Amino acid sequence: MKKRLMVLLLALAMTFNLAACAGEPKKEEVAEVPASGEVIKETEAPSYKIGIITPTLSSSEDEFRAGDNMVKKYPGIVKHLTFPENVNAEMETALSQIVSLADDPDMKAIIIASGGSGYLPGLQKVKEKRPDIITITAPIWDDPELMAKYVDINLDTDWARRGVTIVEKAHDMGAKTFIHYSFPTHLAKEVISLRKDTMKETAEKLGMEFVEVVTPDPQTGDGTAPMLQFLREDVPRQIEKYGPDTNIFGSNCPMYDVILDEALKLKFLVAEQCCPTPTQAYPTVMGLEIAEEDSANFDKINAMISEKAKEAGMTGRLSGWPMPVTIFLPEYAVELAKYAIDNNSNLKEDVLNKEFLDKFAKDTFGVGVDFQSYQQKDNYYMMIMESIFY
Amino acid sequence: MKNKKVQIPQIIICIYLLILLVVVNVIGIPIVGIINESFIKWAMNGVLVLSLVPMINVGAGMNFGMPIGISAGLIGLCIAIELRLQGVIGFITAMIVGSLIAIVFGLCYSKILNRLKGKEEIIGTFAGFSFIPIMNFFWTLVPFKNRQMLYPVGGKGLRPKISLKNYFEGILDNSLVVKIGEFQIPVALILFFLILCFLIQYLYRTRVGHVMTAVSENEKFAQISGVNINKYRTKGIILSTILAAIGICVYSQSYGFVELYDGPFMMAFPAVSAILIGGASSKSATVKQVLIGTYLLQTTYLLSIPVANAILVPEITEVLRMIITNGIILYAFLYKGGSKKYGKI
Repeated sequence: MKKRLMVLLLALAMTFNLAACAGEPKKEEVAEVPASGEVIKETEAPSYKIGIITPTLSSSEDEFRAGDNMVKKYPGIVKHLTFPENVNAEMETALSQIVSLADDPDMKAIIIASGGSGYLPGLQKVKEKRPDIITITAPIWDDPELMAKYVDINLDTDWARRGVTIVEKAHDMGAKTFIHYSFPTHLAKEVISLRKDTMKETAEKLGMEFVEVVTPDPQTGDGTAPMLQFLREDVPRQIEKYGPDTNIFGSNCPMYDVILDEALKLKFLVAEQCCPTPTQAYPTVMGLEIAEEDSANFDKINAMISEKAKEAGMTGRLSGWPMPVTIFLPEYAVELAKYAIDNNSNLKEDVLNKEFLDKFAKDTFGVGVDFQSYQQKDNYYMMIMESIFY
Repeated sequence: MKNKKVQIPQIIICIYLLILLVVVNVIGIPIVGIINESFIKWAMNGVLVLSLVPMINVGAGMNFGMPIGISAGLIGLCIAIELRLQGVIGFITAMIVGSLIAIVFGLCYSKILNRLKGKEEIIGTFAGFSFIPIMNFFWTLVPFKNRQMLYPVGGKGLRPKISLKNYFEGILDNSLVVKIGEFQIPVALILFFLILCFLIQYLYRTRVGHVMTAVSENEKFAQISGVNINKYRTKGIILSTILAAIGICVYSQSYGFVELYDGPFMMAFPAVSAILIGGASSKSATVKQVLIGTYLLQTTYLLSIPVANAILVPEITEVLRMIITNGIILYAFLYKGGSKKYGKI
């Protein structure tokens, strides 16, 4: 009996807590309304919020910093949450985090930037509860058909099309051979194996030799060290065989620490990283000293890379995208949501078309971006950024 | 010591290695290059394998908690980079600072292991695994100032990988390289490794070493003879931790990067496989077993990937390679264990 009473008491206490939580924002709202009524100030926090959820700092730096940047840029508007460290093991927590954002009556848009799958049910629930909230993925990798059906705007990098563009770029840079490093758990992913096949096709079309090498798998046991150690041994062998007019592509980000390091020594070509960004591998390999105030200044970082490339006699032999796509997409999504809310836009008519999306990227970030709709879906757009040559 | 004869696991691995060598020759991969690389791989991983010996020989089992010692070494490396110490001075500073920290870490680690005698291997695994998140906090929060090692975007916290190029990359690999024809022997690296091996070998000829061995062979007997068991265990564990710290310094200078965060996570396992292949048991290990085991295992790894890539369909190479390499190791042990306990297979 005692136990039951305890449980009852606890349950009561919890409901009160919940009620209190739900009650609080209302008070704020009441307090805010007269304030904004009296003096209309630009600086005052508007009465809406945009929620963004990213992985934690240690699991993915870029998305986390993107969320963080947006909070700093739009204080009071952007609310930044992080998924649990080990999302796959705690999907329930992740989903409830997504749904919890919709509890705030001021919430007008929810953005998920994660590069993982399994989040769609959370967004579906948000839509059931609050059809007025704009949902954006930037990106998540659930089933595209369902995403197009249940999410308002889906943004992603055009992984498959890069199979063509990377090889063409490498060819333009003077590559005669294209080497593709990957491993089983990656090749089992549809996007990656599709991209590899496209690369092979394109290389053959352009008259380049396509070489495929499989490395130790970093996801089955011993981590990335054996894979990188193998690259250290294998890259010089391959370059000795095919000469420096070879482009090396690896399907896994950590590979680039070794690939770029060897590129500086052996002078081969790296047309594009798997996740093209100046902030990955380049700073490590080139020992860049980026001052704290320059930490998000990509022009400065790119200039530093160009300089180091010149020192190594590698001018024009390294290329990438001017800013990391993993920072671009989440920030772009926030800006897009803010624009749509501020202008009360009709998503289907005003926002979701190639002309607007491309122009919006140029206007807000100053980089050329090419969006294409995925399989003719009107709310699923995949992008490729303009290249920068170091 | 006891295991003087060449055992079945070594024979099987040797045969596998020979087959690989023949195939390498047939496919036309330059064999000299591979042999040169095998020396580097041998010595760069060797010290980490050697670090298992002291703990095994005081009866504290295989050091699955190696990430603890490795973390100490990583701190040493980071401090050397923070102070921008280059060349030999940087490398020596990294090892000294790493060792000092390893003494503290080893002391704490031995306190845990001495309370939970007999379950060291599983406790060590957990201690090592749980130590990594603690270190992750440290790496993100440590107030280092050298911007070459900080996150490029946020500007705070250490990068997951720090390049040693401006400091002491290849300091052992590339100094005193003796060229005999096409062969290149990294004398400094191998000498450094062998000196450490010799020191450990020498330790087991001294009185302290004898007592340590006695503890691992028969703890009760040693206790009755008036040996303070925990004292010797603590010494052995600290020594293992220090060697792991030095080991990661040697490994990193060869690898070219300092790998933080989850880098040390799985490092204990290849080391343990190597010493087992060398013929060690969880109660006794010798330096000779370290030398043989590391060379065999690392060269097998070195050879199997290019061979698999050359003769198999790319998509399946890695899977088959894992099955064959690990399968052979497993078979080797099965054969040994089987014949001992249950008669012949």
